Amino acid sequence: MFNKTLLALSAAMIVIPASAENVPISGNVESKCVITTETNGVYGNPTPSKLSTLPADGGVVPIIRFDVVSANYYKAVIATPNDFSASPSLNDVVAWTGTTSVGEVSDALMSAYDTDKVVYNNYSEFDLTIAGSTWFKAESTAVYGYDKSFPSGNYNAVVEAECIAL
Amino acid sequence: MLLAYSSCSYSEITFEQSTNAASAGYNWVMTNILPEYAGLTVNGVVYRYTTVKATEDDMLVSVQNENALGDGYIFRSVDDWSGLPGNSINRVIPVGSIPLEAWGDGSISWTGTGDVTDATVIYSYQYDLCVDPQVDPSCAEYVAPVVALPAIEIVDPLQDEFIRLELEKKAALDDEDEEERQRLKKKDGKKKERLEVLLGSINTSLLAAQALAQAQLLLAMNNYIGAYYTTMPGGVYKETLTYGDTQLPDNNTAKRVSFAQQLLHEKMVSSQFNNLVSKP
Repeated sequence: MFNKTLLALSAAMIVIPASAENVPISGNVESKCVITTETNGVYGNPTPSKLSTLPADGGVVPIIRFDVVSANYYKAVIATPNDFSASPSLNDVVAWTGTTSVGEVSDALMSAYDTDKVVYNNYSEFDLTIAGSTWFKAESTAVYGYDKSFPSGNYNAVVEAECIAL
Repeated sequence: MLLAYSSCSYSEITFEQSTNAASAGYNWVMTNILPEYAGLTVNGVVYRYTTVKATEDDMLVSVQNENALGDGYIFRSVDDWSGLPGNSINRVIPVGSIPLEAWGDGSISWTGTGDVTDATVIYSYQYDLCVDPQVDPSCAEYVAPVVALPAIEIVDPLQDEFIRLELEKKAALDDEDEEERQRLKKKDGKKKERLEVLLGSINTSLLAAQALAQAQLLLAMNNYIGAYYTTMPGGVYKETLTYGDTQLPDNNTAKRVSFAQQLLHEKMVSSQFNNLVSKP
């Protein structure tokens, strides 16, 4: 068919050599990777100098779900906070720690994501080698100064989750 | 020219989910999980559980339902956790539309080293309340039932030939029975009479014997007055009263009365005889 189309175009050029037309071709690519926030995180305040999302500290761990239709086309990159997006004025340093892990899977083989993940700075990368849904837990802890109390007020932080095409 | 045709039939399809089938254990009976609606079909199974195991251990976990209409399983999902760290798995498995009747008992089982905790198995299903529109008056095709009374033909049984013959036959039999009854009654009467005579004589004898026995008994008890049985001294008892001879006069008055009665009697007899003679 492709060949036939070429032939037709050649004939048209011979008959009407002075005419030309641009035929538009449009397309749309939708991501086959969908990120959904399953659970919003909450900081607990077990000690005056600590904020933590761990349930043992009175917090709630945020959960992010990655749905991929095709295997081996995407990787999940999740960054735990290293700064507050909103907070009272702080005049001392905050020590941040964070861990991202696989919390739940839709295929047992996804359980290997934890083993194969790459961690650098506050980032964790997971190759999504299995089609399906994966739930990631992003734990975050902030310790203020050296046993120094956080000023009272609201503290907000953000977990960044990206689905990057390979 | 493009022709389009569409049709629509009213139906009340309801989509629902079961409760957690594994809440009471890792084996369950489907009749306790799914409602028994006509035409119910299961569309999918959602299950979740957590494996507790060492990464290097082998472990196979199966979630399944037996095939109630045959051998094997109507649904089975196997997760291979061998060489993988334990984790929670959450799966949604569409199964098409499998009718309720095919779903046998369900279970979660595993082989290898490890444990399964926090299991949840939920079935999503659908049914049409109006599969049988007569079940629910709200269904569009529901037709209110009408009681059709059958036409009753009134027949006089006494006009029926067979019944009439039967009644006549019965009447004849009743007459024969009555005659037989009278004959037996008469016969029984005679028998009864003879029996009464017999029983009377027997009874008299028995009573006499009984009276004698009773008298002897009373006598033995010395309840009688002794004077009745006192022996009287023997000898001759001569008359002590004597009347002197005398003449009894005739009763003339009585003689007249008697004579007058005799006359009257003869007169009456004669008068009857005369009346008979005088008649022609």
